[in-house]
Amino acid sequence: MTTAVLGQDTRSVGRGRPGVHSTLTRGSSVGLGLAMIWFSLLVLIPLAAIVVTAGQHGWSGYVDTLKNPQTWAAIRLTVTQSLLVTLVNVVMGTLIAWVLVRDRFWGRGILDVLIDIPFAMPTIVAGLVLLGLYGPKSPLGINVANQRTSVTLALAFVTLPFIVRTVQPVLAELDTDVEEAAASLGAKRATILRRLVLPSLVPAIAAGAALSFARAISEYGSLVLLSGMLPYKTEVVSVRVYSFVEGGDQTAAAALATIMLAVALFVIVALDIIQRTVARRG
Amino acid sequence: MSIDISHINKRFGDFVALDDVTVSLPTGQLTALLGPSGGGKSTLLRIIAGLERADTGTITIEGVDATRTAPQKRNVGFVFQHYAVFKHMTVAKNVAFGLEIRNRPKAEIAERVDELLKLVHLSQFAHRLPAQLSGGQRQRMALARALAIQPKVLLLDEPFGALDAKVRKELREWLRRLHDEVPVTTVFVTHDQEEALEVADEIVVINDGRIEQVGSPDQLYDAPANDFVMGFLGEVTQLGQERLRPHDIEIALTPDLAGSIAADILRYTRVGFEVRLVAGTEDGHEVSVVTTRAHARALALEEGARVWLTPASGAATVPAMEPQVLETAS
Amino acid sequence: MVELSTPAKWALRVVVISYVFLLVGWPMITLIQNAFSDGLGNFQAAFSDPDVVHAMIVTIEVSLWAVGINTVFGVGMALLLVRYEFPGKRALSALIDLPMAVSPVVIGLALLLVYNGRTGWFGPTLEAHGIQVIFSSPGMIMATCFVSLPLVVREVVPVLTEIGDDQEQAATSLGANAFQTLRRITLPAIKWAIVYGVVLTMARSLGEFGAVKIVSGNLIGQTQTASQAVEQEYNNFSQGEAYAISFVLVLLAVLCIVVVSLLRPKEPSA
Repeated sequence: MTTAVLGQDTRSVGRGRPGVHSTLTRGSSVGLGLAMIWFSLLVLIPLAAIVVTAGQHGWSGYVDTLKNPQTWAAIRLTVTQSLLVTLVNVVMGTLIAWVLVRDRFWGRGILDVLIDIPFAMPTIVAGLVLLGLYGPKSPLGINVANQRTSVTLALAFVTLPFIVRTVQPVLAELDTDVEEAAASLGAKRATILRRLVLPSLVPAIAAGAALSFARAISEYGSLVLLSGMLPYKTEVVSVRVYSFVEGGDQTAAAALATIMLAVALFVIVALDIIQRTVARRG
Repeated sequence: MSIDISHINKRFGDFVALDDVTVSLPTGQLTALLGPSGGGKSTLLRIIAGLERADTGTITIEGVDATRTAPQKRNVGFVFQHYAVFKHMTVAKNVAFGLEIRNRPKAEIAERVDELLKLVHLSQFAHRLPAQLSGGQRQRMALARALAIQPKVLLLDEPFGALDAKVRKELREWLRRLHDEVPVTTVFVTHDQEEALEVADEIVVINDGRIEQVGSPDQLYDAPANDFVMGFLGEVTQLGQERLRPHDIEIALTPDLAGSIAADILRYTRVGFEVRLVAGTEDGHEVSVVTTRAHARALALEEGARVWLTPASGAATVPAMEPQVLETAS
Repeated sequence: MVELSTPAKWALRVVVISYVFLLVGWPMITLIQNAFSDGLGNFQAAFSDPDVVHAMIVTIEVSLWAVGINTVFGVGMALLLVRYEFPGKRALSALIDLPMAVSPVVIGLALLLVYNGRTGWFGPTLEAHGIQVIFSSPGMIMATCFVSLPLVVREVVPVLTEIGDDQEQAATSLGANAFQTLRRITLPAIKWAIVYGVVLTMARSLGEFGAVKIVSGNLIGQTQTASQAVEQEYNNFSQGEAYAISFVLVLLAVLCIVVVSLLRPKEPSA
């Protein structure tokens, strides 16, 4: 399962003439209109509602919500843990992609399927499953339940596929001629990796890292059972939002949600920029 | 009746693809639109087909104004450079497509498909998928598919551009013979002058969105209207103030003929039965000359020899353009 | 091509395999062990409870709706993005990817704010006309659609881009109208991309938890989904049952992955 993020320019092939503003026909205009209505009802208006609701108590109300000690602790925890996990993924994800693409051994297919499991598994089950091995009844004797490490563990689990799946196709398509040319010019393996292979992978890694970070910040389900959702200790932003919702404080929930939305938008823009850069490089 | 193209203009943003193009293509003829890449010939072809719309001007097909007609209704067969085969259908289904769209009875479709596959020599591939065919076979299938709908006009957009040199040559001859058998008004686009000269009844030379000349292959080659046409259709060299074909230059060892120009042979290459020479005149100009091996041997030509060059009588010539002087900023 | 030295190659394999094994592999084994800890007892206990069965049915129904809606939207959107030009196309394309980066809790909240029957922007009007969105199926379907929105689009767009519109132009020149071209030429060409997208959407929809939790109200026997049932069983100390239901959900997810994996032509590798 590959996430086709990079290099897929949605401009039409061969028909993108300069200066043409719209090539829509009557039928396709109607189609676009209907699609936009659905998209607005489903996505745009609800997200706008969050931004509007967040500002209901004005700017000072907004800032106060965020400065609340418990909330602020949640924000700090979520951001630091997400960054940590993203870094781990940058390293491990790239290594895993390398092994999947350039190595052959029995069981590689199983490895491939395992990578996709966190993506398809219900998040609540992810938490349950990690609890089984790393919780109170752990056969390994490792119990991270209700501790900060549990957050790292859960986030690492759910973000596992992202960098792997963005790097894998790029690595597979790399022109090995270039590496051979470098070798014939006397470059050592380490040099080739460092100066040729890695730089070509940077956009893919960056895209995967952006997705991984966004996913980590948003994670909810896997933390419900595993982390205990303890305030100041293991409570993340999404859990805090949920408790605001349950408590009926929609404004506070929305205020906190805008932060997550800002991160999401930032990631989307970053991905778009990366994609354009890659497309330009050809 | 024919295809009448009248004052067609087309721009893409700032780029002028076609500039006031007017030409008439007679019925039943095999016409080539020849010109360099980006010159507008494909655009013109697509406008005739209705796949592009001109900004101004009209297209009349067999006396009927087709300028605003949708491509589906023009009854024009189109063959693409990269075949545009329907990958998921068999060869027979591909050819049958146009007839199925027109809801012809199944028996009639089957008969017609059979007939066409025989015509293009692909009968034994009827139930194969296009992926199993070679490039040349795919293009023949594409032709059969276009002919199936009995078009009034057949348009081919660089039909052999994606094929190997050898296959290209074979298909060129094949297209010519096919046209003799099935004389549909045919227009094909190419940037290969050899192809145009070999296959077409008439050639329209298009450059930079404008028509440079229209005529038969002989007319274009022997009586080019301007330097561009001359240069595009064959090799050109300059002798004195005239531009002419290298094989139209007479070589002599003595300055017998009036107006002959002295030169020394700088390079001497034998290619097959031709001998290609580069001779340098006294004012530093290089002239290409082509002669036969026999003639070169008779004159005992070799590098360094002094010869006298004259244009052959009756040779097609065009006066030289402004001498190319490098302008330095002043 | 760079070939690592044998010790380096092995070290890399060990590191990668151990990491994935400890993070995913062994927990999966634990899942199987715990689900089958009582033979089939856990499964019998779980699925003899009508509420659990209802939860599974709700999950499957909602997922099927979401798959249907997203497939239509996805294919349509892909065609619009690849075959046409229009102002705002680039922004739209980026926005469609937004659900990949947004938290499910935020999605649930967003829908709640708009469609909630008391204080929502549209909710009260809709309920006046008899349409209940929040705490009811429509809301759950919408939440599930939201989270899996980009999946079909992102599978179809690259394929549409790659095959180009030559075949479609050929069909047009042969007399096919827009609908005929779509049905006979375009859709068959993107068949497999649609299949992959559908399977991925199904897997994602079956597993959705956070967004649906907020929007459904977790009404047992009515709007509770399978993943919410897992949480409930666990909190009621019925761990065996929780594992049993989880096993079924994971099995379905793995089946989806395996199906896609098998169908997709092999990735080129060294």
